Amino acid sequence: MKATAWIAINVFRESVRDKVLYNLVFFAILLIAASYLIGQLTAGQDVKIIKDLGLAATSIFGLFIAVFIGIGLVSKEVERRSVYSLLAKPIHRYQLLIGKYCGLVLTLVVNISIMAAALYVVLAYMSWGVSPAAARIWDAPALDPALLKAASLLLAELSIVTAIALFFSTFSTPMLSAAMTFGLYIVGHFTNDLRNFADLVDSPAAARLARGLSWALPNLAQFDVRADVVHGVPVAFGYMGLACLYAAVYVAMLLAISVLVFSRRDFK
Amino acid sequence: MPALATFELTKDYAIGFWRKRPYRALHGLTLEIAPGEVFGFLGPNGAGKTTTLKLLMQLVFPTSGRAEILGRPLGDLSVKRRIGYLPEHPYFYDYLTAEELLTYFAGLFGYSGADRRARASRLLDEVGIGAERRMQLRKFSKGMLQRVGIAQAILNDPELVIFDEPMSGLDPLGRRDVRSLILRLRDRGCTVFFSSHVLSDAEALCDRVAILARGRLAAMGRLTDMLPFRARGWELVVAGVRDDTVAALGNRVRRAVRLSEGHYLLDLPPDSLPERLVGELTAGGASLTSLNPIRQTLEEFFVEHVTAPEAAGAPRGLEPRAGRRP
Amino acid sequence: MRDRPLNAIVAVVVFAAMMVGASIELQAMRDRMYPPRPLDEDSLYIQSGPMLRRLTVAYNALAADLYWIRAIQYYGDGKRRLASHARVPDPPPMIAAATSDAYSLLYPLLDLTTSLDPRFNIAYRFGAVFLAEAYPSGPGRPDLAVKLLEKGLAERPDKWEYMEDIGFVHYWYDHDYRAAAEWFRKASLAPGAPWWLQSLAATTLAQGGDRQSSRVMWEAILQSSEVGWQRQDAERRLLQLRALDQIDDYQKIVDDYASRAGAPATDWAPIIRARSWPGTPADPSLTPYVLTGGRVTVAQSSPLWPLPDEPQRADSRPPS
Repeated sequence: MKATAWIAINVFRESVRDKVLYNLVFFAILLIAASYLIGQLTAGQDVKIIKDLGLAATSIFGLFIAVFIGIGLVSKEVERRSVYSLLAKPIHRYQLLIGKYCGLVLTLVVNISIMAAALYVVLAYMSWGVSPAAARIWDAPALDPALLKAASLLLAELSIVTAIALFFSTFSTPMLSAAMTFGLYIVGHFTNDLRNFADLVDSPAAARLARGLSWALPNLAQFDVRADVVHGVPVAFGYMGLACLYAAVYVAMLLAISVLVFSRRDFK
Repeated sequence: MPALATFELTKDYAIGFWRKRPYRALHGLTLEIAPGEVFGFLGPNGAGKTTTLKLLMQLVFPTSGRAEILGRPLGDLSVKRRIGYLPEHPYFYDYLTAEELLTYFAGLFGYSGADRRARASRLLDEVGIGAERRMQLRKFSKGMLQRVGIAQAILNDPELVIFDEPMSGLDPLGRRDVRSLILRLRDRGCTVFFSSHVLSDAEALCDRVAILARGRLAAMGRLTDMLPFRARGWELVVAGVRDDTVAALGNRVRRAVRLSEGHYLLDLPPDSLPERLVGELTAGGASLTSLNPIRQTLEEFFVEHVTAPEAAGAPRGLEPRAGRRP
Repeated sequence: MRDRPLNAIVAVVVFAAMMVGASIELQAMRDRMYPPRPLDEDSLYIQSGPMLRRLTVAYNALAADLYWIRAIQYYGDGKRRLASHARVPDPPPMIAAATSDAYSLLYPLLDLTTSLDPRFNIAYRFGAVFLAEAYPSGPGRPDLAVKLLEKGLAERPDKWEYMEDIGFVHYWYDHDYRAAAEWFRKASLAPGAPWWLQSLAATTLAQGGDRQSSRVMWEAILQSSEVGWQRQDAERRLLQLRALDQIDDYQKIVDDYASRAGAPATDWAPIIRARSWPGTPADPSLTPYVLTGGRVTVAQSSPLWPLPDEPQRADSRPPS
């Protein structure tokens, strides 16, 4: 397992040096600029909007990192032949794959942590000097620890997206992998609608197909608690636990299949 | 126990969109490499050399046949601790420095922190990379990348190294360095198995060679056994000889090339007793610059075997394929 | 790893299947323990149709479908929640008063659906049905139903179905028969409208108590109709209207008699004697009127029976 961890650290190092983390600077600037502009608005709504904006930006940046690095994790190595010298070392192919995955997840953890911290900083700045009376009309406190719940579930969601990107990367070109991963990301947010759709159609075959797909496709909408958190609606730890467990199970499945595909592959 | 042995190793690729026709890249390759020897693997482009090496490194999987490295079958992970591999056109990670790359790979071997750094440093010295070791690899020239490639291949003091085109892209200085490195490895008892286009390197370095053509073994054996020692002609270079003297030689000379005023290169047929001609010319006031026998070069041998029809079957080397030890 | 490929493949496939099963089980468990919350006001971030159109750009129709599915789901959820709460219903509120919270997003959802796809037929028609459904089990907003249908008409002014639907909303939920009849009339003028819409308009007018307008309409139908049955029906209707007029007159006489006699009249005889009529008053089909319990009605045996209901008697319920 040491080899796996070593590979993971090097993936992280690559992403840092690849200027991926520069997007954080962009994010921070975005937040600060937005907070300044929105500070002109009347009381009450600005904190909510900053939270919405901050969480949405974190989600989008996280998604892009997960997809664009994820699709290249394996295919870039194979295309550039750097995998040749890597596999000549005494490591199993699955160690390479799992190491790459863990490295990208590590990158995401760092990214999202920094973005969450930046969000808190901006919120602290915004709520500085606001009277308690004004603060009482907010749905949730400005420096709400529940924001971390939203960030954690976002991380769980992105771990699934990363696994999907990695899976496609083991056998497909980057372009196709990106398209399929984004596609599954979008579909994953509509699995509930797919289930409802099954209730509406007449044909039982179509209904069965829709229902089957709605269960099998990754359910990503369950990780989106941003609206709840911003409105101060409590998010139960039991719910988070079940959602994270789902993520772990789904990721395990994707990684198992990826390992199988990758282990049997000829590197021409 | 041979350092490396293959038994009827065969590889088919599926060609075509609907996976119809299999393309046989390697056809029943059987060879053995003794420990401590330098073995050259020669052949034109597309002969199957790189395929063979990839099969040995488990980058592709054989359709049939098997192989053993250091006595262990393919797929044994512990063997990879004792061997080194340099791929053709090595590419590493742009964002790492040479030092970091070697420490990374050393970590994959399981060496601890200080040991990693020490090894990396030592090997970079050995391949001649100095202060550039702290530069990111994307700034390296091809020659420097090749050196880094060799460094990572011998990071673990291997017993057997497999080099795919180690001289490719190197300038003459680089090639000289790689040659001397290979000889140093041999002196340390390491077995060296490398593929190459550059026949002169093979002539200079190898104990034995194998020639691969269109996926089949065309010849294998000691160079001295394969290339007849008998001279096929002579090459005489003289200075201070007059043009009309040369013209008068007529049939005794196959070809005369005028290098400069009074300076001639004469191509003499094999049975011509060159010493007598030398005597005549020097008696006439010329001076001898050089006299060399012309032997069949590896290149000619190579071309002869590589373009021979496939259906010939048995290789045209002087040594049977399996069994005989040098 | 390629040495025993079959083992590896089987192992991975089994493992993957187990994981999929586990993931489904977890989802079900999560849905059970933490039922998904219904949409609330703020979750419809974009309430502006034109804005949403611009955002979904090339995928307007698909987005419309999505919102439609959500609207239906929302409506169904609302019904389920109301059923489970088993509230004692308040008396029916006035039109456009506050309705139950259960349906507050229904109109916005339908509005967005139809903004995204202005030709989304069933969204207009079924949407109107949902919206008009009476309180407390439904939203009870016939005004919004009409608004939705009028939006549909703005896109397709010749769609007689929408006009007819508006007429029905007015008929069943507002009890505004004049408006209903007017919409039926407008609908009958649209190209391709079925012939019976005119009849519908006329009938509705009568039910609204507006006999004169109804009479005018039936006269027009009698003159213009090419359908034989419709002409006969128009004649009959006109006779019925005449009968209603006659009944009004006779009723006045009967009531007058009853007030002087001190008791309600149960029989024609005394009145005939008092008024020196030639015989029992008869309806336009020459069937005698019946006098029971002080009220003049048409005989059941008369071809004009039953006369059209008029509002003060009607307690019409919409078809379920």
